Amino acid sequence: MNSGDGSMAKNLLTGAVGVILFLVLWQVIGAYRLAGMGWPTLTSVLDVLATPSRFGTFQRAVTATVRSVLLGYVAGFVMGFGFALLGHLWPRLKVGTDQTTAVIHAIPAIALAPLLIVFFGLAATPIAICALNVFFLVYNATSSGLLSVNNTHGDLFTAYGANRYDRFRWLELPAALPSIAAGLKLAVPAALIGTILGEWFGAPQGVGLLMVAAMQNFQIPMLWSAVLLSVAISLSMMALTSLIEHYVSHRFG
Amino acid sequence: MSVASIQPTAPEPIIGTAGIPAINLDRVGKNFRLDARREVKAVSDVSMNVGKGAFVAILGPSGCGKSTILRMIASLDEPTKGTLSVLGTTPADCAANHRMGIAFQDHALLPWLTIFDNVALPYRLAHLKADPGRVAQLIDLVGLAGFEKARPKQLSGGMRQRAAIARALLLNPDVLLLDEPFGALDAVTRRQMNVELQRIWSEQRTTTLLVTHSVDEAVFLADRVIVMSGRPGHIIREVAIPFERPRHPDVMRTVEFHHLVNELTEALHPTEGTGAP
Repeated sequence: MNSGDGSMAKNLLTGAVGVILFLVLWQVIGAYRLAGMGWPTLTSVLDVLATPSRFGTFQRAVTATVRSVLLGYVAGFVMGFGFALLGHLWPRLKVGTDQTTAVIHAIPAIALAPLLIVFFGLAATPIAICALNVFFLVYNATSSGLLSVNNTHGDLFTAYGANRYDRFRWLELPAALPSIAAGLKLAVPAALIGTILGEWFGAPQGVGLLMVAAMQNFQIPMLWSAVLLSVAISLSMMALTSLIEHYVSHRFG
Repeated sequence: MSVASIQPTAPEPIIGTAGIPAINLDRVGKNFRLDARREVKAVSDVSMNVGKGAFVAILGPSGCGKSTILRMIASLDEPTKGTLSVLGTTPADCAANHRMGIAFQDHALLPWLTIFDNVALPYRLAHLKADPGRVAQLIDLVGLAGFEKARPKQLSGGMRQRAAIARALLLNPDVLLLDEPFGALDAVTRRQMNVELQRIWSEQRTTTLLVTHSVDEAVFLADRVIVMSGRPGHIIREVAIPFERPRHPDVMRTVEFHHLVNELTEALHPTEGTGAP
């Protein structure tokens, strides 16, 4: 236990040193204009973030983006999981579900966006692109997870006369959970990319919109503030899904 | 713990081959396809009976097809030739009716279930109402009392194997199939597990087929030992084991025991020299 705690503390320390180095480097590059006008100092970005008059703007943008990410994430999960179950429980459909998913994934989101705007409107397009990105990752994680059953466990269920449903409920589904949890973690950055991309096309609110507006007005520290906000959203969701993944892989792995 | 609480019906007398065959193999052969042109004969022309209430061991070197025979009886593989019946029906029907108990070299406990839930799993698969009392008794019988809430990865290899045996006995199976259940254990634990399995079996008298490559294990546990030779697997010898039940571990120190072990080792030896990998 002691060595475990020790190595954890050491990891945290190494991580903290890395982060501090990065932040110092950022400040230095900004202060001496080493990367030109587009790279502000860290302090100027934090100034913008800490300006009370802007709190309302930031709060509205973050709320809108988080809402889209969560809705798209849940919708993408439900579709990906459901589609994978369909292909798994009715093997005849598997070729179809695999190919449909691959085709959907092969279409660049940027090409699909105009269509989505026509279908769902500007406000819902971030949710739709987010859902599509999550859908693909969850579909693959679920369908490969459901096939990851240990051979002897499969033999055991056969010899004990398990029917198709019981095999799924008591063996395949629990065995798939670590893979699904890993897929959910991988899906977080994909969800955020999809949402922000969707917001660029003119969503009424959101961090993506903030970025586009700041860029067009050459408000460089504002642009970086928006980037930092999206990083914060992504990191907190990653932390949450990492916890879930850790628990699930420990419990079901 | 009383025996009667585990097995409400009176145990069947040991009748070995003379009884109604619980397992019957008639000239069974099994080929495995390697690729489009090549096939390997795993088992060839095997005929045997396991009487109701008998404990039969199949002894043979690695790769002699003994596990393939057990897998066919468990409905996990289909024979290429010959016929095979379990309790007068096909292995698949027997499995579908939840009348088999099985334990493998790999304990095959589900890592996400507790020991209690693992042992109780056959109830779920057979759609029977779980009897927590019986699960607890079996866990006690295999010496795992107090570990009901543990998960498999928290237990030692021997303890996991005990749990797998308890699970195999849960539904009072008509046929118990044991495929090298102690093969992955160290020699000391293995011997201890043999002693315990013998004790449990003497209380339950379930028709049992054990596949093993350990001569001592086969002689100590079985009423009859079938010796197989490899490539393709076929029966070369059958030996009846005369010791009374329940068998005390001291049996293993008798001259008669050593004589039987020597005889069977002798029968195995030529095969080990040429066929075993």
